[in-house]
Amino acid sequence: MLQGFAVALSPLNLAWCFVGVFLGTVIGVLPGLGPAATIAMLLPLTFRMDPTGAVIMLAGIYYGSKYGGSTTSILLNVPGESASVVTCLDGYQMAKRGRAGAALGIAAIASFIAGTVGVVGLMLIAPPLAKMALSFSSPEYFALMCLGLAMVVLLAGESMVKALLAMLVGLWVAGMGTDLFTSTSRFTFGSAELLDGIDFVVVAIGVFALGEVLGNLEVRQGPQMLPVPKGLRNLMPTWQDLKDCRFAFLNGSVVGFLIGVLPGAGSTIASFISYGIEKAVSKHPEKFGTGVPEGVAAPEGANNSETGGAMVPLLTLGIPGSGTTAILLAAFILWGLRPGPLMIQDNPVLFWGLVASMYIGNVMLLILNLPLIPLFAQILRLPAYILYPAIFGISIVGVYSVSSSLFDAWMLAGFGLLGYAMRRLDYPAAPLILGFVLGDGMERALRQSLMMSQGDLSILVSRPISATMLFLTVLMLIAPLFRRANAWRVKAMS
Amino acid sequence: MKHRSAILVATLLLTTAALPLHAQGFKPAKPIEFVTHTGPGGGGDVFARGIAAAMEKEGLMPVRMQVVNKTGGGGLTAMAYLAEKQGETHTIAVFTGIWFTNPIMRKEAKFTMSDLTPVVRLVLEPAVIAVKNDAPFKSLKDFIDAAKQNPGQLKQSAGSLGSRDWVVRQLLMKNTGANWAYISFPGGGERIAALLGGHVNMMVIEPQEAGEHIRAGNMRVIAQVADKRLPAFPDVPTIQEAGFNVPNVPQVRGIVAPPGVPADVVAYWEDLFARFIKTASWQKYLADNMFENGYMRSAELRAFGETFSETTRNILKEGGVAVAR
Repeated sequence: MLQGFAVALSPLNLAWCFVGVFLGTVIGVLPGLGPAATIAMLLPLTFRMDPTGAVIMLAGIYYGSKYGGSTTSILLNVPGESASVVTCLDGYQMAKRGRAGAALGIAAIASFIAGTVGVVGLMLIAPPLAKMALSFSSPEYFALMCLGLAMVVLLAGESMVKALLAMLVGLWVAGMGTDLFTSTSRFTFGSAELLDGIDFVVVAIGVFALGEVLGNLEVRQGPQMLPVPKGLRNLMPTWQDLKDCRFAFLNGSVVGFLIGVLPGAGSTIASFISYGIEKAVSKHPEKFGTGVPEGVAAPEGANNSETGGAMVPLLTLGIPGSGTTAILLAAFILWGLRPGPLMIQDNPVLFWGLVASMYIGNVMLLILNLPLIPLFAQILRLPAYILYPAIFGISIVGVYSVSSSLFDAWMLAGFGLLGYAMRRLDYPAAPLILGFVLGDGMERALRQSLMMSQGDLSILVSRPISATMLFLTVLMLIAPLFRRANAWRVKAMS
Repeated sequence: MKHRSAILVATLLLTTAALPLHAQGFKPAKPIEFVTHTGPGGGGDVFARGIAAAMEKEGLMPVRMQVVNKTGGGGLTAMAYLAEKQGETHTIAVFTGIWFTNPIMRKEAKFTMSDLTPVVRLVLEPAVIAVKNDAPFKSLKDFIDAAKQNPGQLKQSAGSLGSRDWVVRQLLMKNTGANWAYISFPGGGERIAALLGGHVNMMVIEPQEAGEHIRAGNMRVIAQVADKRLPAFPDVPTIQEAGFNVPNVPQVRGIVAPPGVPADVVAYWEDLFARFIKTASWQKYLADNMFENGYMRSAELRAFGETFSETTRNILKEGGVAVAR
């Protein structure tokens, strides 16, 4: 490890680390363009670099992007990247109440704590954890996604029925495209553009950002959109905020890391689950969704420690769990490294250098991000006639940058209208996104499980890990019923 | 002095006059748009960026190659994009086997490979058949025998229907009468994880990917999907050597251009890639990934494409997949 710090602290590698985390922050702030695309574009430039420096830089882009992702979620309700959708729920509400700076601060601190916890996990328990991750297969993934989907009971606003309907729409949209197992087209309406299904960015930005802007256009407003308090002190989180978030920091770090280790899950699921846990254990669950700092800290923490987790199967098994880690893997091969179970033994300098650089990078990100908060918060001072068109512009460019397809831009408009209609009719947007994120993987995991068991459903409950998670799912689903029954009893007694 | 410069000018004139004869006049004048159907990090994307980087390093082209990702429809979007660029001389694309198979299976496809201009075939990617190291199967025959004894019980983790993994399975099942389950996973990582976790029994894997798992003692290779044994696996028989009379199914990659591209442009690319595949960068790329050089010029590639499509169509039909055209 000391050797690793010696490597990471060399001036050149420090510089690469800074370049990486800086770029990561920038692309995280910009919606659409994600770390995978950025790393792919920079790949040719790294061929002449020393592999250690290159991997330090590219990894910096990866975890740095998670820091930046929260910025537009909080300020504009535009998810900067997929994992920060959940941050919109409470982050944007905090901004609406004049606490944008505090929300950004909480996000940065949660990211720092969880990012560091993720690296500690990677350093200490990577090999045994990777072995454990292998015991997860389709039945376990299905159970995990069920648990995730059960979060809908926590995301529901006043009406559970509306939340469930929104979730079903999300599941339906997720089912569009090509059936993986039979190669049949589903709901493609004869269009080749829909064969790969609909991109997450289109749905999330449409429903959240455009829906919000269209909704706000109805109200005639003064020149200033959201309140921004004066003075640096008011732009930072208070001690009380940090105290409230103590558990959220821990929860986000641990949940994010563990889910990150599983190659088939992903950071969006991690952030949804940690948000759900936070709400479930909270003393004031009813305040979630109105702008509580824990609602920002938990998901932001989770999507940061997830990167540390995702490095575990990548570096110890050579198994990528996401688009970004897949391109890192491709990069390793292009540099002539052999990623796989023996990489730590073969390239200790690279591995420990990378781990050490991730500690340093997280500190850099905190130092880089905190001073930017007052600056970013000023964006909200812009008058609506500048801000709203700008959000439209950013959203369309963001979507177009993912696929270079005008078809997607039109789809974005469609989902924007859907988001607007849902707001008007008081349907919550988060369950739709939840259904959309989980639908595809959940269906796939169920069908894979049934293929493994030749159609026998008992495979889902005969495996201990999957049985436990399904049991928790059932508990989650019946808990609100108990709460309601209890409320009735109290009412009847009084 | 004057005399000398006159000779120099004459030589220059001669060489410039001779060049068009050789390259038929075409030379790219602006950056080349290099289309791939996968998103950043996908197989086609990494391949395209590998070529673009090596071209730049070797200084073979006067202009840059700009990789453009046209994702969607398993290649169909990129094919349609290319097809609409009728006669465009500064756009080329990377194709893979899916560009042939997908239009056969999809009625949504508006174009097939025969609508585009074939340029060159570049690589053939062999594969190996791997099992977990503690599996009882020491050879492909062991696996097939076990599959015959327990029909439908053994499992293969793989990609989508119509992919190379699937074709290999169809051919082996047809040839032997054995039958095993085919479980699709969208990501290569998930397929390997399912095998290493003992949730499935076998997979068709790229040799480079398998290499490290074998070295670590997690995986064993029981056969190769290649014409001849790969240098990295001298002791493992090919499927044919193992006694199974099935055709070899390589994953193929190469370059296509939009429809109606003039012959001199095609000739330019043919010559450029003929020089390109000899460069040290490319040779190293092939060796690192254990790819085979599969260079073929435009006319041969067209014929190859027709046979390839026909074979695939038959395999798909026999496998019970609806064929659209």
